[in-house]
Amino acid sequence: MNTANYLLETGADHRLALIDGEQSYTYGELRAAVVALTHALVANGVQPQAHVAIFGPNTYFWIAAYLAILKLGAVAVPFSPAAKPAQLAEMQKLVACQVVCAPAAQLTPAHRTVFGDCVVITEAALTADLSAGPVGPSSAEVAPTQLAALMLTSGTTARPRAVCVTHRNIQANTNSIIAALEIGLDDRMLVVLPFHYCFGTSLLHTHLRAGATLVLANNAALPEVLLNELEAHSCTSFAGVPSVYQLLLRNSTFPRRSLPALRTFQQAGGKLQPVLIEELTALRPTARIFIMYGQTEATARLSYLPLEQMQAKRGSIGRGLPGVKLRVVNEAGQEVRPGEVGQIIAYGENVTAGYLNDPESTARTFVGGALHTGDLATVDADGYIYIVDRQSDFIKPLGHRVSSHEIEACVLALPDVLAAAAIGVPDPLLGEAIRVYVTLRPGAVLDEQAMLAHYKRTLPRYMTPKQIVILAQLPMNSQGKVLKTALRQLV
Amino acid sequence: MEIKERIREFIVSNCLFGDTSFDLRDDTALLDSGIIDSTGVIELVLFLSEAFGLDVPPEDMLPANFNSLGQLTSYVQQRIPVASAL
Repeated sequence: MNTANYLLETGADHRLALIDGEQSYTYGELRAAVVALTHALVANGVQPQAHVAIFGPNTYFWIAAYLAILKLGAVAVPFSPAAKPAQLAEMQKLVACQVVCAPAAQLTPAHRTVFGDCVVITEAALTADLSAGPVGPSSAEVAPTQLAALMLTSGTTARPRAVCVTHRNIQANTNSIIAALEIGLDDRMLVVLPFHYCFGTSLLHTHLRAGATLVLANNAALPEVLLNELEAHSCTSFAGVPSVYQLLLRNSTFPRRSLPALRTFQQAGGKLQPVLIEELTALRPTARIFIMYGQTEATARLSYLPLEQMQAKRGSIGRGLPGVKLRVVNEAGQEVRPGEVGQIIAYGENVTAGYLNDPESTARTFVGGALHTGDLATVDADGYIYIVDRQSDFIKPLGHRVSSHEIEACVLALPDVLAAAAIGVPDPLLGEAIRVYVTLRPGAVLDEQAMLAHYKRTLPRYMTPKQIVILAQLPMNSQGKVLKTALRQLV
Repeated sequence: MEIKERIREFIVSNCLFGDTSFDLRDDTALLDSGIIDSTGVIELVLFLSEAFGLDVPPEDMLPANFNSLGQLTSYVQQRIPVASAL
């Protein structure tokens, strides 16, 4: 089935689909908006499998554009509005979109340059007069293995990667999550996660498919605003990365609010410290708190910790979702013994089709249909998985996946910098903060402040290191490879 | 330095990446426009603590206090006598 039809199958026309600021939209209105946008896309020459960019914050327009692209059998490519024009240009070079859907206010002159040759479809298309036009294009027949979306993410190099997500991937992962979390018609999810991030997209998928309601909170930088939204809309559910939970628990009025409707919490995108899980559990003893783990390469989510195991298996990412099989294997490819560390390997219909135009990385990460996650873990005697480290060189500030190489490449662009190595260090507010160690040319006058200023000019805020340390020499092994484990031991 | 100028300097260097050409007015929306995002809020609270000795309680972290340079300045001005009296 076409994924747009799959996602809109449950919600009855009169039911509330989403709340976006002061506006509310029913499923009936959303369906009509999707038809309006399919007209605009077809009128601008969009054919099945064409790459269509979506750029901007979470809005009604974003959702309607996404569904319209899927409905036509084209490929949705969500871009982060937080990315800098230079990064967006790299992404666009990779995915080569021919049309971009973006709110008019969002496209500054610099953004227009990035999407230079693209036709732009704005929110004006939602209200275009359809009476004179042709009948709405019917939804395209799609094969389950057909590409539905390209999800942009950091690679292990400084270049962006695009994960190829098929119609089957989305539907399989959506079904798994709904089954495990029992998402239903009456759920009302406050969405603070951006839809260009797979955790955010999966909230969209699962709540639409369940016929539930999404409340969009784009300006939730302040935890009080987020809490006010939860209260004002009687939200039943909330999902976030560890730093948001940290803020709510330690630096907001959340502990003093009653929020009687709020009964479900989802957490993914990094490790939530066990002490915070305990605080949340103590504060909301009757709530359902789902600790989850996932990857863009797995469409979104791979595991969850069943509620009844919350106490006994504290710190675990749980087990595979329904339909997902997780194994932890050692270098010989054998299942690890309890206590032994190995890599998490995932199987299931949510494992994506690989990286766009990158057969080498695809072959390394997707081996015979199994996703090699790069996450190192142990398994206990009952099969519960505990992540201990990442094999891949990522840092996760505020839940964003940042490639160490991109951080290193940025500072290496300064001629006085000889070598650089970026690592993540635990941070109470960011979850993980970026720390960069550099060595400088003899006689260089560059200081930490100047390097920091260069970062701030070049990369988005979440990628800016919290600390830069100048060393006389980086610790290296005999092959000249920087030993990041040694750097992690420096304080 | 005046309170407003110190806050302006913080916003320009930390949230506008040193772009002094940006037309940052007293009423420019900082939160609605995304100039200050969730990381920025954390840094702003730390800055207010370091620069003015202000401990911002969670219930004060509202758009009415934080959404513009003018609002931030008024907030700090209101709070400083309280802070210095402690």
